Amino acid sequence: MNPWMHYLVWPLVKFLVAFIIVQGIVAAMNWVERRLLGFVQARLGPNRVGPKGLLQIIADPVKFLLKEDIVPANAETIAYFLGPILPLIPTFLVYCLIPFGPPPTFVAARVNVAVLLVLALTSTGVYGIILGGWASNNKYSLMGGLRSAAQMVSYEVPFGLSIVGVLMLSGSLDLVKIVNYQADHIWNLFPQLIAAFIFFVAMTAETNRTPFDLPEADSELVGGYHTEYSAMKFAFFMLAEYSAMLVNCCLMTLLFLGGWTLAIGGYGLTTQTLQHMGIPGGMLGVLIFIVKVMTFMLVYIWFRATFPRFRFDQLMDLGWKWMIPLALANIVVTGVVVLLGQSLNFQGEVVLSIAGAAIVGYTLYNLRPRAKVVHASRVSEV
Amino acid sequence: MIEYAVFFFFAAVAVIFALMVVLHRNPVVGALALVASFFALAVMYVLLEAPFLAALQVIVYAGAIMVLFLFVIMLLNLQKQSEEPTRPLQQFLGYAGSAAFGIGLVYYLSKYAVMELPAGPFIADARTVGIRLFEAYIFPFEMVSILLLAAIVGALLLSGVRMEERT
Repeated sequence: MNPWMHYLVWPLVKFLVAFIIVQGIVAAMNWVERRLLGFVQARLGPNRVGPKGLLQIIADPVKFLLKEDIVPANAETIAYFLGPILPLIPTFLVYCLIPFGPPPTFVAARVNVAVLLVLALTSTGVYGIILGGWASNNKYSLMGGLRSAAQMVSYEVPFGLSIVGVLMLSGSLDLVKIVNYQADHIWNLFPQLIAAFIFFVAMTAETNRTPFDLPEADSELVGGYHTEYSAMKFAFFMLAEYSAMLVNCCLMTLLFLGGWTLAIGGYGLTTQTLQHMGIPGGMLGVLIFIVKVMTFMLVYIWFRATFPRFRFDQLMDLGWKWMIPLALANIVVTGVVVLLGQSLNFQGEVVLSIAGAAIVGYTLYNLRPRAKVVHASRVSEV
Repeated sequence: MIEYAVFFFFAAVAVIFALMVVLHRNPVVGALALVASFFALAVMYVLLEAPFLAALQVIVYAGAIMVLFLFVIMLLNLQKQSEEPTRPLQQFLGYAGSAAFGIGLVYYLSKYAVMELPAGPFIADARTVGIRLFEAYIFPFEMVSILLLAAIVGALLLSGVRMEERT
């Protein structure tokens, strides 16, 4: 094949298709989120525009486009304009690297260090928030930007550390190989239960979602970093946030839930099976992938509907005193078990899964509903 | 051919933004220019067929360290720095020292720089880097970790002293 077609045109076409589908999902997520929040909080949510309020998806962008675009008088002009645009670039670029279905058709660019590149790109998304907060020349915005910076730096560490266990089990940084490994053995969710938990919490914090939405805490900071932004610029911030959420859900699915495969121990819909089925197989893989990703998007919304916001010191305590030590312990245990499994010839994943199940069972046992005697001193504390 | 175009474009970007770091008055702009320079450097690693190093460069420097830099700059509110030069002698010594260092660097680079690549394939994937780091370069690696530990202890000591004064 012509190298230009192979290296430039086809990846670009694939990227554009993925990009359009993803943006559609992001626009729809806004409606889904508001309806679901309404459902949880026993109210209706947007239901006026079109059937079930579905045309809200179009009405919102139109409103953003038509609203007046205000620039504060003392804003740092260039940084103020860069703020909403900068985070869009890395979050869109990531879609080149994410395999949405069985390779080679559904991957725009297959890189052998894909996991690291995705981490690198998502970690630079914070600059937009910091810049926007600083350039608005507003105390609340600056506080939001500062909080975002501190939160990102703190949660980047457990975010990265929780992936290490997965990498040790699968022995590769290539997302496709990680997925194939899970299809041949078991979903990493089971042997890496603690890592999956840490990863999910850290990725919620990375995208500034409730209960970690301190950078835009409306009750304290008006709107945080986007207080001074209106119209399309505000919409860009939202777009970047939802795109980043979707990227993180894709990563979660690829790293812990077997991506587009639906197999255990090599039986079921593995990559080979799907590839043998041709185009319908590929479509089936994409469908499986999207269902898994959407499940996690719904968990995000569920979180937002049910959890109150953390205080800043609680946020730091959770990140540095709980999640980082837990992630480090997970790395040590996983490493030891994998090495022992290689030298003594047993399946490390099985041992880790049993250990994870035991931990979950113990935790659930401790959390079982019991008739509690609430001491008077506890009540006055609250 | 296209490699040359990409190389010269990003080399120019790296140099221009690096100059901006030094010359711009506003520290926030300087920090952001440094981030842009780091990205251009990451492209260099990709051109050298070392995407692993490129990803690490972006994660460590652009993703973590520069965010902390920006955090501190904003926290201290060092937005407009336009103080009168008060110490002419030190300023002159600074310029002279930098100029001497620059000239020496160019001289030694042009004299000793590697103009031909060594024979054999150039591999810089995660496995090779890891093995080199923990076998050949284990001593420097451990020394750096001790250095970082000393920095952490120092920071703790400094903040601890301030706590005692307050109480």
